Amino acid sequence: MELFLFYLSAGICAVSTAMVITGVNALHSLLYLIVSLLAAAFIFYLLGAYFAALLEVIIYAGAIMVLFVFVVMMLNLGRQTIEQEKSWLNAKMWIGPSLLAALLLLELGYLFAQGQGTAIGQQVSAKQVGIALFGPYLLAVELASMLLLAGLVGAYHLGRPLERP
Amino acid sequence: MAQTTALWPLIIYFAAVLVVVGVMLGLPNLLGQRSRGKATVEPFESGIVPVGDTKIRFSVQFYLIAIFFVIFDLEAVYLFAWAVAFRESGWAGFIEIVVFIFVLIAALAYLWLIGALDWRTRRQRRVESKINN
Amino acid sequence: MTVGSPLNVFGILFSVITVSALLIWVERRLIGIWQDRLGPNRLGPLGLMQVAADMIKIFFKEDWTPPFADRPVFFIAPAIIMIATLTGFVVIPFAPGIGVVDFNFGLLYFLALSSLSVYSVVLAGYVSNNKYALLGSLRAAAQTISYEVFMGLSVMGVVMLAGSFNLREIVEAQRDVWFCLPQIAGLVTFTIAAIAEMHRAPFDLPEGEQELVAGFHMEYSGMKFGMFFVGEYLSVTLNAAMMVTLFFGGWLGPAFLPPLLWFMLKTSLVIIFFILVRSALPRPRYDQLMSFGWKVMLPVTLLNLLVTGAAVLSTQH
Repeated sequence: MELFLFYLSAGICAVSTAMVITGVNALHSLLYLIVSLLAAAFIFYLLGAYFAALLEVIIYAGAIMVLFVFVVMMLNLGRQTIEQEKSWLNAKMWIGPSLLAALLLLELGYLFAQGQGTAIGQQVSAKQVGIALFGPYLLAVELASMLLLAGLVGAYHLGRPLERP
Repeated sequence: MAQTTALWPLIIYFAAVLVVVGVMLGLPNLLGQRSRGKATVEPFESGIVPVGDTKIRFSVQFYLIAIFFVIFDLEAVYLFAWAVAFRESGWAGFIEIVVFIFVLIAALAYLWLIGALDWRTRRQRRVESKINN
Repeated sequence: MTVGSPLNVFGILFSVITVSALLIWVERRLIGIWQDRLGPNRLGPLGLMQVAADMIKIFFKEDWTPPFADRPVFFIAPAIIMIATLTGFVVIPFAPGIGVVDFNFGLLYFLALSSLSVYSVVLAGYVSNNKYALLGSLRAAAQTISYEVFMGLSVMGVVMLAGSFNLREIVEAQRDVWFCLPQIAGLVTFTIAAIAEMHRAPFDLPEGEQELVAGFHMEYSGMKFGMFFVGEYLSVTLNAAMMVTLFFGGWLGPAFLPPLLWFMLKTSLVIIFFILVRSALPRPRYDQLMSFGWKVMLPVTLLNLLVTGAAVLSTQH
């Protein structure tokens, strides 16, 4: 049963990611990307990482994708980008990245064949994550907050509306 | 691995929800009438004939608010992890979160002071400063 | 009765849909009373059959998709709000032994779903290809994400007191005192965030009739409009049930009523409160709404977390 659910969600993930790449409509591609992230979250859940699964939904599907949808809405180009996307999706564009990705896949397959990739998940509770973050990794959390602060200030100054007298 | 026993009711419930939504989307297609009028295919704009299309560029404020949201949501997740384990991490963890929240509030104060959270239009700002003086 | 039995699963799905449909009538009647008029009172006893009549009518309306809209996404948008709110009910602990699943991360699951439901509004407005709808959905998106930031934070005080994300454990932790007392700041902020997330009055600027006609669901008609409509009432029920679980002791109460009845009674009171808020308060200006969220509510929730943490840690030893 678990195995079936795993293959189902992994399949959904792979197919929707393929649709993201091949799609020409930016909004449809984003929707497929959201589906792909949800499927990835479900895989996390099946592996016992419940906290990571829900954070994946909250952060990636619920926050970062909203930002992407916003950008698509703001640029709001419609038909002309679809034409542009179609012209970009030629063999010259995708053959290089795909070959490199295929190489990675072969490497992964080799690792699995060696039996090194069978990390059977154990359940990680949110409490354990919290204790780890606010115990041994104390400094990392503070560094993360500094990094986010810098990101915030940088983002504002890049996207600041022009001052007009 | 996850407890599959707990998954079954969830799967059945989700399937039932999908059936309900499917019926709601599909049934009116069979039951409803079809009508054709002169203005059926035009966007509704309160009875006024539409001018132009929806290719409107928006204020960058909307984009900024989405960025702020992503960053503050990320910081909130650290607070989620602290909230559930704060008894175990004790005062050391508390001091850490005080620093964390202080950085967060400093970021918020910075945005506030440079006016990134001010959504008034230029006209509203002018009128309000006139009233205050 | 055990959690997750077939009777539970289908019973809960059926009752939440029925309750939400009935809420349309309840809201119209109550607002009628508070505004000194009658409301729907003709069909059946007290006008109760109005819901059935509306439902039949809406099923026989023309299923019209605008030719200028993005057809597949136009269909998905109302489905998202229905699915997100209906599946939110799986983690609600209605009573001991009644519920769909007993999930250790119930609260986070609820927050995750509410962060997904924003897509419904955004996509609906964007693919409609209508200027008013587009403006409405941009407003809705900016408002929803602004209030979502502190929605999660406002309930973390409850998590700190209960020490768990599991909603059943949170209810059990309220045996001595309901969390609405120690977490009064959390309750107030969560209520405001919930109303803003549902975009109900006074925070209904995305569909403000005077300026945007109907906002994001402008081009929707028939059942697809009905789904947005029922979706709103479903999320009212969901948020009310969540508030009862987190702040008002869930199914707990004196023994003269069974736990399930306590839960339903409290949830109905919270729903009536939401309706009262709608009929009593005027709409703020858009810039006031946004700066209220960022400049007032967010600092308040952060301070609430610090105060709660300090108080609990200092009384622990």
